[in-house]
Amino acid sequence: MLLDVKNLAVTYAKSAAPTIQGVSFELDAGEILAIVGESGSGKTTVIRAVLNLLPGGGKVSAGTIIFDGKNLAELDNAGWRNLRGKDISMIFQDSGAMLNPVHTIGRQFVEYIQVHSELDKAAAYAMAVEKLTLMNLPNPENILSSYTFELSGGMRQRVGIAMAITFQPKLLLADEPTSALDVTTQAQIVGELMFITRGTGAAMIIVTHNLGVASYLSDKLIVMSQGRIVEAGATQEVVENPQHAYTKSLLASVPEMGRARYV
Amino acid sequence: MSEIIMSVENLTKKFPVSGGKFLTACDDISFHVRRGETIGIVGESGCGKTTLLKAIMNMQAPTSGRIIFHGEDITKLTGEDKRQNYRHIQMVFQDPSAAFDPKMRVKDIICEPLVNFDLIGAADVEPKAKELLAQVDLPPDFVNRYPHNMSGGQRQRVAIARALALEPEIIACDEATSALDVSVQDTIIKLLVKLQREKGITYIFICHDLALVSLFSHRIAVMYLGNMMEKLDGDKLSAARHPYTRALLKAVFSTEREKNQYIEILPGDIPSPLDMPSGCPFRNRCVHCQKICAEKKPAFTEVAENHFVACHFPLEIQ
Repeated sequence: MLLDVKNLAVTYAKSAAPTIQGVSFELDAGEILAIVGESGSGKTTVIRAVLNLLPGGGKVSAGTIIFDGKNLAELDNAGWRNLRGKDISMIFQDSGAMLNPVHTIGRQFVEYIQVHSELDKAAAYAMAVEKLTLMNLPNPENILSSYTFELSGGMRQRVGIAMAITFQPKLLLADEPTSALDVTTQAQIVGELMFITRGTGAAMIIVTHNLGVASYLSDKLIVMSQGRIVEAGATQEVVENPQHAYTKSLLASVPEMGRARYV
Repeated sequence: MSEIIMSVENLTKKFPVSGGKFLTACDDISFHVRRGETIGIVGESGCGKTTLLKAIMNMQAPTSGRIIFHGEDITKLTGEDKRQNYRHIQMVFQDPSAAFDPKMRVKDIICEPLVNFDLIGAADVEPKAKELLAQVDLPPDFVNRYPHNMSGGQRQRVAIARALALEPEIIACDEATSALDVSVQDTIIKLLVKLQREKGITYIFICHDLALVSLFSHRIAVMYLGNMMEKLDGDKLSAARHPYTRALLKAVFSTEREKNQYIEILPGDIPSPLDMPSGCPFRNRCVHCQKICAEKKPAFTEVAENHFVACHFPLEIQ
């Protein structure tokens, strides 16, 4: 087992009541887990807790997170530095916002590679080119000398994914990776995410509010509401045969072509 | 079929860019808007949806073309005539948290259009606001709230109440439900449909969610790089014949497994509107592209009743 989350609760400094509570799940290598739910249901908090990147004084107040046999609560700062961006990496909703707009993408990509490895500049640059090529980005040298605002949303997202998979992480955390994209670009990125995980054997947790995307690419599905898991199981089973009333109502409100029209 | 209340005729909008070039955001767009109908405009970012909407709202004059509303070309209106025209076309925006002044109370937000046109006095603001809130299924005590005291769905209801205040004939919705959760989206769409039935309002509904548009629109127009590619009835979207519309349909993920088997990925990116391909704008991503597509721009032709396609080789209905 790659990741074992047991009874996780997260509390933010401002409120006494935990934001998420009693969250438990398991993930094997190569598996894709999707966490769906509405805004404020705590789905992003779950993956941020795994990476110990909770904003605004958030703290894991109960539960354990075991990754690759290690209890993450026992890690010190150096331990986290080794883990983040190497064994576990994150893909954000808009990778453009994760990068510094006043430096070229190449400078930041090379710096990131050098921080986590012993490679010299030329080797790091070659590695960046190789990773961008893997993401179907034409003309990688050109992209490395560009700034984030010069790229389209889909290209920025590919750069973000290329950086996240640089060190072949065992676990990828993706926070709404396709929500800001157009439908055709979304389909491209979803295809590439599946290709990567199936190709490298990495596991992935994808947080999304798009139930269609979740049904298409995940093996396991967790439905969250108000900080708790309301339903979990194999994706196909949950989607085709939902047990909980909340899951049923959520699935019923997804617009689907060919269903009863509003007008 | 109901009467035509607005006709957009050969609307073209070009923006000047550096180097003496022009960016064509809308190219020769024509369509009719009928009373009490919803017309859905679908397309990816940069396809000219918002430019089109701004022209309809009379916020931006087109380079050429006309928009006939109430027997007049509204793009030529000036001064008080132009201001009075705004009464009949109102708008609901994508992000309800950015659409209000955070320091105004709900009653002042909703009644501001009425006060601007001197339709009610200060004493009538509160009762009128309560009446409008009731129409969007919000309790009357919301009148004294501030925008930050409400959820996204409640805010969007207030935005709809504000758009309803002047009893407009047309409400333009620019991605009005995109920022909302699916269950909230569902209730907002039901509310819009209810109001349409009661008041005969016409919606111009801009959206990138094809599935939603197909369930909510009477007519659908598909745009790509400033051009209208296909126009058809809302319930016939699955019979689309333009390769681009087909590609969009195949990129929609579903919760139903059978539908997901047909997911097909359209390769490539949208070309820059400054560097448009010759002939058909979609030709460099189209699998059915032939020689003529690069030479001649396809004309918008009627292939079936109420079904128009701009393609040299429209696909057969599957």
